[in-house]
Amino acid sequence: MRERVGYLPDIGEEIIDTKILTFTRKGEVLEVEAPQLTMEQMQLVTEKVKTASSEVLKNMSITEIISIIDSAIEVLLDRHSTYRKKAEMLLPIVTGYDKEMIRLGLTSFLKKFRKHELQRFVVEDLGNPLLLDGFQPRVKRGYSKAVGPDLILHVWAGNVPALPLWSLISGLLVKSGNIGKVSSAEPLFAGWFAQVLVEVAPQLKDCLAVVWWKGGDEAREKEIFRYADVVVGYGSNTSLESMSRRIPVTTRFLPFGHKVSFGVISNAALDSRKALATAHQAAFDIIQFDQQGCYSPHIFYVQKGGNVTPAEFAQYLAQELESYQKRYPRRTLTLEEMTAAVHWRNQEEVSSFSNPAKQVFGQTDHHWTVVYEEGAAFSPTCSNRTVKVIAFDELEDILPSIQHYRKFLQSAGIAAAPKDLFRWAEKFGNIGVTRITALGKMTSPEAGWHHDGRFNLLDLVQMVDIEHSAEEYAEYFAAYID
Amino acid sequence: MELQQIINQLMTVLQSDSLSDDEFNHYALQLFAYQYTNNLPFRKFCQQKGKTIRTVKSWKDIPAVPINAFKEVALTCTPPEEAERYFMTSGTTQGVKGKHYHPTLQVWNLSMKTYFKQRFMKETEKIRMGILFPTEEEMPNSSLARYLALAKQEFGTEESHYLLGENGIDLERLIQELEHAERSDEPYAILGASFSFVHLFEELAKIGRSFQLPAGSKILDTGGFKNQSKEWELGEFYHELSRVLGVPRKDCINMYGMTELSSQLYDTGNEQVPSIKSGPHWLKTRIIHPLTGKEVAEGERGVIVHCDLANFNSVSTILTEDLGMKVGEGFLLLGRVQGTEAKGCSLAVEEFIKAATEPTR
Repeated sequence: MRERVGYLPDIGEEIIDTKILTFTRKGEVLEVEAPQLTMEQMQLVTEKVKTASSEVLKNMSITEIISIIDSAIEVLLDRHSTYRKKAEMLLPIVTGYDKEMIRLGLTSFLKKFRKHELQRFVVEDLGNPLLLDGFQPRVKRGYSKAVGPDLILHVWAGNVPALPLWSLISGLLVKSGNIGKVSSAEPLFAGWFAQVLVEVAPQLKDCLAVVWWKGGDEAREKEIFRYADVVVGYGSNTSLESMSRRIPVTTRFLPFGHKVSFGVISNAALDSRKALATAHQAAFDIIQFDQQGCYSPHIFYVQKGGNVTPAEFAQYLAQELESYQKRYPRRTLTLEEMTAAVHWRNQEEVSSFSNPAKQVFGQTDHHWTVVYEEGAAFSPTCSNRTVKVIAFDELEDILPSIQHYRKFLQSAGIAAAPKDLFRWAEKFGNIGVTRITALGKMTSPEAGWHHDGRFNLLDLVQMVDIEHSAEEYAEYFAAYID
Repeated sequence: MELQQIINQLMTVLQSDSLSDDEFNHYALQLFAYQYTNNLPFRKFCQQKGKTIRTVKSWKDIPAVPINAFKEVALTCTPPEEAERYFMTSGTTQGVKGKHYHPTLQVWNLSMKTYFKQRFMKETEKIRMGILFPTEEEMPNSSLARYLALAKQEFGTEESHYLLGENGIDLERLIQELEHAERSDEPYAILGASFSFVHLFEELAKIGRSFQLPAGSKILDTGGFKNQSKEWELGEFYHELSRVLGVPRKDCINMYGMTELSSQLYDTGNEQVPSIKSGPHWLKTRIIHPLTGKEVAEGERGVIVHCDLANFNSVSTILTEDLGMKVGEGFLLLGRVQGTEAKGCSLAVEEFIKAATEPTR
């Protein structure tokens, strides 16, 4: 099988070089043809996208844009559409994730970009969506308008399929030209979305591009970053740092670095009836995309004093992970990942010899590992369904070990009664957590969430103010002045 | 068996010419029983894997202990405080270094000398050596410092010496030595850490010099050269080594050793990279699938496991973090698993640990 990646606007008769990336899974081979543009071609693309978006997108109303995205998402949600079928067939080969996990994951993800959710997106950040269309009166007097940049460049990661949609759709909503660079790990979905979008709204055909180059290509990045007004980057701090060195100071850089998430379970969620359900939800957050997301939990803090003890909960969790393995098997790991997993597991086992309270569940050939520990330090696991359960009495006992990692914290999944939820949320917010969510929902942020505590649209736009004085002053020059 | 018996037997084994498979198996199982009995953390490790003296029937069944375990527990059959020497691992986990205890260095020394002679010295009895590494006094817990000190003491001529000063390479001395070798036509050997050679390249490039060492000269490098100013490809490294010092690549030997072992492995020169590595008759290497622990087929990639009979006091069988591929009687070393970089935005453990050691704000 062969699939061409990306989407290019009309840059005339150009011969585009391609590079073949090969993916195999269970005997199925997929060759992915990634376009490799020359510097000159890349420049043509940026110019085209810039011009087209300022002529087309900038003159559309936000309502029109939302309807177009909605129609494109509808195509991708329709299980009979060619694109959806292609996604369901090819993404498992490229990412290695289970077919069923991809299918359900796609639906739950795409649902967030339907019309009503998109409206929420806009209102969430701007209050008044019309700010994107024209000057709107302000309470303080005067008028303001939100203007999107001419060109946003996205450098995407490939850990979770379809993830580029968050930033690409945000870019479209602010009426910017968008060029996205897909990652070699999941190069497909963003291009399909662009193709569907253009099929639904042919007038947008030159307003966006989805391209590929090998990450870290210094010369190319240095050149292309010059054309962008905003660069949105995803990746490790090391790669973001090196990226930032290539971005001119006049270009805004929005880096999304690696993050770590965790869960906290109060003893109220651990009575004999609720504990199993709690473990089931927690296990889902672990198995979904094999903990490759920034929102994926690595640790569950479990409060003592419930009917089910934290150690018993760890055992429940192990059982749940084992049954999930039957339904949604873990993707095939690379040799490197397997070795890392085995070493992580072995090390936990060995350290349990000098720590009688520590338990390691499962065996090396299991596709998950649960470690139960008391008073352990906060530390991410090696992912791919490895998790630590740490017992605690009071929240205050665990905060000091977590707060040290302020810069890396993201989601906390909480199972607790309302009073504790708010009290704990307060504490976690203070030490750097930016998202509190239900167990079972950790890998599925709501539409309009504040990704790493930031704004989706507000961070992209700049506001233009007409101050009250200008308005008043203008009156003085009006034709109707007496 | 008693400790002294084990040691005596080993000394004989190390001095023998070879071991049959049955003999190797016999000694390995004997050693396993000894370690299972006397090394408590190891016994627990085995029990966790469901392995006991009764169920381990072949040396291949002996549970391979991950090198990280050395950082977590004292893997020793004798009280650590009675050890003649312990070697420390270079890698750390959250600042903790692993320790490998040796109640006596007798076995370690004999293992080193016997196989060093066979693989590096060959017919040569003594050679003038320059060592690109700190001395044993400067680094008493470095197994590599010990190794190089022993090499110099046993196989180096009187004029052999260290080439590292307080501020890195003693360039003046080095050039003197290289010039002397060129003039006198006396074979010369340089031994050291691979990254020291990278520094040597840089120093010589600065002054624009290269040398043509006389026939019979040799180089021994060991360890990797990651995190240097420039990432070196293996082929590039040996090309440069050979070019700068005028030693043919077949005489540039790489030693593959680990603090967690008591023996070393070598290749037969680096005309081609990666080279095929192999160890002495008292050490056997397997390439396994990390999850099942089963040996992979020849030509397939897997994780390297060593069973080293000379590791009598800790654990005979080590699970490395190195990837390899079996080729004939040896194996190709395909690099180290570096905690594996996370693919997306989930935080990699290494990055996290790095952050933990930095000041918060």
